[in-house]
Amino acid sequence: MKRNSIFFFLIFALLAFISFAFQVKEGESLFLKPSNFPEPVYDFTKNPLTTEGVALGKVLFYDALLSKDNTVSCGSCHQQTAGFTQHGHVLSHGINDALTKRNSMPLANLAWFKDFGWDGGVHHLDLFAVSPLTNPAEMDENLPNILEKLRKTNTYPVLFQKAFGSEEINSERFLKALSQFMLTMVSANSKYDKAMRNEGVVLSESEEQGEAIFKQKCASCHSGVLFTDLKFHNNGLSPASKADLGRYDVTLLEEDRLAFKTPSLRNLDATAPYMHDGRFGTLEEVLEHYDAGIENNATLDPSLKQNNRIGIPLSMDEKTKLLAFLKTLNDDDFLRNDRYAEVSQAKDPEADKYKDVDWEKVDLQTNSPTIKASFKKAWILYTEIKNALIAENGDKASAAIESLFPIFNDIDKTAMTSMQRVFFQNVFNDLSFEMEHIADTKDYKHQRDHFGDFSKHLFRLIKAFKTHDKPLYYFHCPNAMFKRGGYWISDTEIDKNPFFKNDKDCGKIKMVLLP
Amino acid sequence: MKNILILLVSFSYLMLNAQSSGTLTLQFDNMVGNEDMVLNTKNYKNAMGEDFNISLFQYYVSNIRLMKSDGSEYAVPQNESYFLIREQDPKSQTVTLNNVPKGKYTGIRFVIGIDSLRNTADISQRKGCLDVGGEAKDMYWAWNSGYIFVKMEGTSPVIELNADRKKPIFMYHIGLFGGMGDKKTLNNIKETKLSFGSKKLKVKDNTTHYMVIKTDASHILNGSTNISIAKNPSIMAGPFSAKIADNYNVMFSFGGFAKSLNTISETKTAMK
Ligand code: HEC
Ligand code: HEC
Repeated sequence: MKRNSIFFFLIFALLAFISFAFQVKEGESLFLKPSNFPEPVYDFTKNPLTTEGVALGKVLFYDALLSKDNTVSCGSCHQQTAGFTQHGHVLSHGINDALTKRNSMPLANLAWFKDFGWDGGVHHLDLFAVSPLTNPAEMDENLPNILEKLRKTNTYPVLFQKAFGSEEINSERFLKALSQFMLTMVSANSKYDKAMRNEGVVLSESEEQGEAIFKQKCASCHSGVLFTDLKFHNNGLSPASKADLGRYDVTLLEEDRLAFKTPSLRNLDATAPYMHDGRFGTLEEVLEHYDAGIENNATLDPSLKQNNRIGIPLSMDEKTKLLAFLKTLNDDDFLRNDRYAEVSQAKDPEADKYKDVDWEKVDLQTNSPTIKASFKKAWILYTEIKNALIAENGDKASAAIESLFPIFNDIDKTAMTSMQRVFFQNVFNDLSFEMEHIADTKDYKHQRDHFGDFSKHLFRLIKAFKTHDKPLYYFHCPNAMFKRGGYWISDTEIDKNPFFKNDKDCGKIKMVLLP
Repeated sequence: MKNILILLVSFSYLMLNAQSSGTLTLQFDNMVGNEDMVLNTKNYKNAMGEDFNISLFQYYVSNIRLMKSDGSEYAVPQNESYFLIREQDPKSQTVTLNNVPKGKYTGIRFVIGIDSLRNTADISQRKGCLDVGGEAKDMYWAWNSGYIFVKMEGTSPVIELNADRKKPIFMYHIGLFGGMGDKKTLNNIKETKLSFGSKKLKVKDNTTHYMVIKTDASHILNGSTNISIAKNPSIMAGPFSAKIADNYNVMFSFGGFAKSLNTISETKTAMK
């Protein structure tokens, strides 16, 4: 009897240990501290990550049920491909398109932050979600109502059960699940990180020079590997007409007037526009601001008025190098990683079935007249966009792209086989990423940076579905897109280069697609 | 044999424990001056001579301690020491403290609002009246994270209407706990200390004792700073909130002991 109980005790202890060890393992794979990062601030022992908890958080993050009229989700203002900011919006749009006071903030590396919001009014990540949920300009719903809505669904009680052991839905569980998902958003795979960790990548000479300039002129505030000192400064933006006093509204201290949280500078390519009110559309403007646009007022940070000069002197050459360095902080892996992608579009229930398919080798030709009609319209718009870029007309290109969205969104998926559908969705995820970038700016130069990949993905679709009834020519210009090379499609053998006005000769036919 | 011993010991421990404590029920009686508070329909006048009525009145009481003459105290266990008193909800005005140790008490002290520790606590420690997704939903600032300590709203004919203010409504939402870390904000946490005077609270075993605490809301407007509703119809997380907190610091008073809840309501009717 006695020996038995010892035996059982040992078995039990072993099981407990295994499950504990497993849980630690699981938590680790969900949140891995990058080796070049400091220890996180968030206390994971109070909210240990689990696969189910993160999954629940993700569903909540993308669910518009959280807003009063069921139209806005966290993901509406925090879009992955935009570094979890809102694409192309100066001030975020919420319910009824009401403007929020401020520009949406990028969400990344939140586990290392201790104050949240541009003014740092919230001191714990778990509590942040209460703010957009109850701000009338944002989601305009209060938490008890949301919890009640969730309780009434068929799915959420099950998801809460999986994540927390019972079907109970309460504030704590709701907020912790959202945090679990947001905590997994770690951006640490930029070129800069890889070089720092000696992963076989090195910065170019100008990038390194840019880094040196950055360290000298910017890193007093944008410090460390997070590129923020987590503090609040007035960086000399002239107050807008309806002044947002920033940190002052929280502390009521004179010295905090017009001070805002130092933002991280990761993924800047995706997070335009910049600053708390989104006043700058490009990084060039930001640098111009630091060099010559700073307004001197009582609370301007002392580091911005040294040696009797307002601002940070930057020569043209220094600006170019700084921009090159800032680009090394973009992390495509983070911006495109499926684990953060919007649930509804990311997963076709049959996607897994085809995950090993070699798409080059399968026949996906369609005979559906509705699908062919959609592609015909898409082709007309594509030609418009291309011609607009040749004419250097950014407005026109952006407008044509806008009309392209509904055509692909409404494409007749019922006329597709499941294999066609999975292929379409895969390519469309890539395609829409480029489309959004082109739509978001009216700057034809920036549009050109996305046009090459946009053409490439469109070509993949046309080629697979065989929707075009005349020959198509697939051009490649190696000088385009910062020498990464850019593609375009044409229905004539001779075509103008949409990337350069003067480099007429760049562009060779790589492939002819016969009907 | 051993088991029986353990059983005996724990049983007698339980007995002892049960014997050494009683229950104290606090009845919060919201008033305006000497009159019982009536929402919406009753008219009041502040020290500036402005007419107003009240549509909403609510506040947090926390960190309750009972004081003895030798200077020692009984502190209500932290997790059980948060109460939200709402004028609209008579049940919320009765606060029951269980397991008060036997003894003679000379006074009571408590925090008006929520201490800074709980204001910054993680979400798992915000239950019951502190639940931001429940009872606390209208007593919490989400954007400047923290609880609202005292909230009074109503209407007054002296309020001038304009484009931003379409109804003559005043709102006094007072909070701010001092901030955390390097985030220093205004600190409006106040503590009230009430002596029972010549009377003593003698807590006996297994007995429930009743006590009235009067809350005079007129002190929100009248005091070291007499607030003009016309000039300040809306006071929230700004510097001026400190004036109101200084005013309401004295709004509580000891209203006597009673033998039962019934006699409390009798005392109340008698007072009217
Ligand atoms: C209408 C647009 C909008 C919606 C919807 C929205 N946010 Fe935000 N988010 C913002 C804006 C704007 C800010 C900056 C807020 C400020 O400083 O006042 C922000 C900031 C944040 C921050 C702080 C980041 C930092 O670095 O300090 C977090 C975390 C966050 N949001 C999470 C969420 C979650 C979770 C949801 C859904 C429950 C959500 N947001 C819904 C616009 C939005
Ligand atoms: C005095 C501290 C300080 C210094 C020095 C400083 N910054 Fe900033 N930076 C800030 C603050 C604070 C903000 C946010 C201001 C706001 O939105 O009101 C900011 C915003 C930015 C942004 C916008 C980011 C976004 O997501 O909106 C960029 C880009 C930027 N800084 C780059 C730089 C560069 C490059 C330098 C060096 C030339 C530099 N900063 C020097 C404090 C500083």
